Amino acid sequence: MAIDYLPLLILIILAMGFAAIAMGLPAVLGPKLPNKQKYEPYESGIIPFADARRRFPVQYYLVAMLFVVFDIEVIFLYPWAVILNRLGLFALVEMAIFLLILLVGYVYCWKRGALDWGGQVRPGDDVVESQVVESQVEEE
Amino acid sequence: MDWLNLIVFPILRTVVLFLVLLTGFAYLTWFERKLLARFHVRYGPNRAGKFGLLQPVADAVKAMFKEEIVPSHVDKPIYLVAPALALIPALIIWAVIPVAKDTPAIADVGIGFLWILAVAGLESYGLILAGWSSNNNYSLLGALRSSAQMISYELPLGLFLVSILILAGSFSLVELVDNPRAWWEWLWLWVAFPFFFICILAETNRSPFDLPETENELVAGYQTEYGGIKFSLFYMAEYINMITTSAIMATLFFGGWRGPFAEEIVWLGPVYLFIKVVVLLFLFVWVRASISRPRYDQLMRFGWKFLLPVGIVYMAITAVLAVLLK
Amino acid sequence: MSPLNVSPKRREYEVLPSLNVPGIPAVAPLPTGETEDTRRIVERFGQDILAAGLHNGLQTVIVKPERLVELAQFIKDEPKLAYETIIDVSSVDRLELPIPEGEPRFQTVYQFRSYRRKQHLMVISPTQGDDEHPRAPSLTPVFRGATWPEREVYDLMGITFDGHPDLRRILMPAHWPYHPLQKQIPLGGEEVPFSLTWDDPEFETLGTQILPAESVKPTLPPGMNRRHMIINMGPHHPSTHGVLRLVVELDGERVIKVDPDLGYLHSGFEKTGEHKRYKDFVYYTDRMDYLSAMNNNLGYVLTVEAMLGVEIPERAQVIRVIMGELQRIASHLLWLATHALDVSGTGMSLLMYATRERELILDLFELVCGARLTTSYIRIGGVWRDVPDIFLDRVRHFIQTFPGRLAEYEAMLTESPVWRERLEGIGVISREDALNMGLTGPMLRGSGVDWDLRRDMPYSGYENYDFVVPVSQRGDSYGRYLVRMEEMRQSVRILEQAVANLPDGPYKTNDRKVALPPRPELDLSMEALIHHFKLVTEGIHVPPGMYYHGIEASKGELGFFIYSDGSGRPYRLHVRGPSFNNLYALDHMCQGAMLSDVVTNIGSVDIVLGEVDR
Repeated sequence: MAIDYLPLLILIILAMGFAAIAMGLPAVLGPKLPNKQKYEPYESGIIPFADARRRFPVQYYLVAMLFVVFDIEVIFLYPWAVILNRLGLFALVEMAIFLLILLVGYVYCWKRGALDWGGQVRPGDDVVESQVVESQVEEE
Repeated sequence: MDWLNLIVFPILRTVVLFLVLLTGFAYLTWFERKLLARFHVRYGPNRAGKFGLLQPVADAVKAMFKEEIVPSHVDKPIYLVAPALALIPALIIWAVIPVAKDTPAIADVGIGFLWILAVAGLESYGLILAGWSSNNNYSLLGALRSSAQMISYELPLGLFLVSILILAGSFSLVELVDNPRAWWEWLWLWVAFPFFFICILAETNRSPFDLPETENELVAGYQTEYGGIKFSLFYMAEYINMITTSAIMATLFFGGWRGPFAEEIVWLGPVYLFIKVVVLLFLFVWVRASISRPRYDQLMRFGWKFLLPVGIVYMAITAVLAVLLK
Repeated sequence: MSPLNVSPKRREYEVLPSLNVPGIPAVAPLPTGETEDTRRIVERFGQDILAAGLHNGLQTVIVKPERLVELAQFIKDEPKLAYETIIDVSSVDRLELPIPEGEPRFQTVYQFRSYRRKQHLMVISPTQGDDEHPRAPSLTPVFRGATWPEREVYDLMGITFDGHPDLRRILMPAHWPYHPLQKQIPLGGEEVPFSLTWDDPEFETLGTQILPAESVKPTLPPGMNRRHMIINMGPHHPSTHGVLRLVVELDGERVIKVDPDLGYLHSGFEKTGEHKRYKDFVYYTDRMDYLSAMNNNLGYVLTVEAMLGVEIPERAQVIRVIMGELQRIASHLLWLATHALDVSGTGMSLLMYATRERELILDLFELVCGARLTTSYIRIGGVWRDVPDIFLDRVRHFIQTFPGRLAEYEAMLTESPVWRERLEGIGVISREDALNMGLTGPMLRGSGVDWDLRRDMPYSGYENYDFVVPVSQRGDSYGRYLVRMEEMRQSVRILEQAVANLPDGPYKTNDRKVALPPRPELDLSMEALIHHFKLVTEGIHVPPGMYYHGIEASKGELGFFIYSDGSGRPYRLHVRGPSFNNLYALDHMCQGAMLSDVVTNIGSVDIVLGEVDR
């Protein structure tokens, strides 16, 4: 029943009201001592070299895209989870197939390095190891 | 009287909830500072009032009387909305958590799980918009980190929630607590608790996963350009989130309001919930005092390459167990 | 309100007479005699060596500037010489000295070290060009470690280095018009940009708000690309250990280049030192590396004592060792505390624990000299006062409790997976790079070079102690962490031996030309009164000459170079601060690292800005 959700609406409205009042308070109570330096961006006490609105690396988008893909699949799991007990084995097999497909995608992402953020290359990392392997092949 | 039930009681309940949460927030800061101080072999706040108990009041008053500063270079509307956007989800997520027998905090809407998921998903907006609108390099990096981190850890979190759903068989948190569970269900649930807790730490940006606001690298991350009450709202959001997630964990893993005689004596329910929440909050502080922070790429690797597979495997086993044993 | 003018105006100064009265200024005598190394160099370079031999016990070579680079390359490559590293570059302005006709006014002075052969070599070279625009060849093609010291010499002395890749000012602001160490620039002669008088309109608002000076737009360091994100870390940043400013070029979270910008704490110790009597400069050394004042005192005092040739009583030597090792532990503890805090955030617990132990050491210092941080306890000729009776018991108590506490910290960090993950493979410096960049101290030992001045060029009787020099072959931050932790344990060992063997006797030298006579003697002896008067009014007269002496301070080799003209004040005083030279490696360490690793690397270098900026 939609009317059941009315308390939630009231809650949301009151929460917004609370936030608005809290934000408005210092405008009334606080002092006003304007000063040019106060309104400058903080970058450790030095004026920044450039605006912060800039292109940033694609890797962050990649995470977001992966998230969307996997999260939608998790969303599919919710209704399934609730009625699993009623449907029994059938639902289990169905979901196993679904998960298998998901898993293929996951393994693909892993192998392609989409899950690596790429820290400092250090001894013992894949890159170095693969070089070692190559040099050994050459010697043989 | 219908309007009484529809309007007045919910408003009263909301006001009580807010009061409880805000007091909880204020004394959680005191609790954390005191506890951390004990971990650090120092005293902590002990000047304002007995045992520093009035310290939160002093902090609140100070925040209110701070000068209102909106830096000149920010995107003003978004900059102002962001702290509110961080706080509101923290407050409203409580609506569906049962505090006593058959009594949710605000309303039993039958979709408790989905409400929690949806509102928790909103939380990252506040941080991202704050970082983006600040037009500051540190804030931007903090916002990028927080968005990537929160969505990365939302996946395993969702998988563990699915597993709990399989065992519960209902979207309602009230039913989840009311329904009796077999002993193997409890045991199997507790296996998931550590992983779930790690995800929660990352979701709430708590140490050691506080990378979006690491003061050692990003000064204050997404909050760098915020001061006064606006900063306090972020702070409030973080701490209320801690209380909220503790209550959720208590409900999901430890029976929420349940305890000896809680079914007969109604007022014992909130007391038991409170005790469980405090124990979990202690865990938050304990972790903060003793575990080192990983680097950003290590954090992402841990989420995607460890927690996610663990979540999938856990869910699969849960499903099989549920079909076989139920 | 008009913005204040922050750039001082160019002003011509008249050449002032020397403040160093009395005493006739004299140039340092030429080196005499011959050693095996100088003989080899003379054989190779023949007429281009102006003089060679021993000077104040140091192997010294004076070479024509034309062949300086060749000489550096020769002593580095020749296996029988094998001077692997450059320790220091400094310079002397001889304006006030009676230099022979035709010789240039400036000299550059280089210190080379062979770790394998345990040899030290001082190379002096007159400058090219006229006295207004002195020039010298740059040694950077041979030793990367000369990069920053040469920038410093350029900045402070005005000598241009030909072939230097990045010759910018390093300590003074970029627009500064003077080279302050030149002798015609008086001490304190500059206009102070922010001075206020009662007539200034700014005075009305002083204290209520910051001064309305215009913010200066930063200049982009050379070699940085504006398309990447370029952020300023510092001077006002939580983890740059003071007022260090790093300009970091970032591609996402990955670091492309780091350019440290120094000088926010520059206080001109070297210039001040030229105007202080020898014994008065001890107090200034406290303020350089303010976390290890005792070691600074010791380094300076040993240099002057070596030039004077005084014998230090046994008891004073042992007290100095005790103080030096306590200070080393205190300094390392603070390094551990801040490093753990920077890296992990939660290391806050460790910060408090390590500070607790450091507090015990500071209490000990307070016991002996009343000061906790700026001790000035070690004086020329001995120490300030004898240690009180209770002192040894307190040190013994510390020695008993400390190793257990140290084991606790190690339990928190050494094997912790997160800690290892954060340090291993971060900031790697190979052995060759460490030598080439002139790194010292734990930075050098963390890269596998087995060298410790206490063991290999002992001073203050360190040869009498049994201790191990920890060396790590890893070369990364974790290796340096292990080295420093072990050094603390070894310091405890040295302390145990020193406390057990503290001899009785005087705590300062009996040489009345160096140390004040005891107070009761003044009432009885006319001669003592005269000595007292002379010492207080004129100070100690150091014979003309130059000397370099380095000690193993907690952060690396702390060296003092003094040029004396025979008066009561040093004619030129140069400090080789380990933090300064070690910080040069930061860019190298941060190549390709993540932003978080920059913080790890700063902590791993272990800098103190008082010493970097001097």
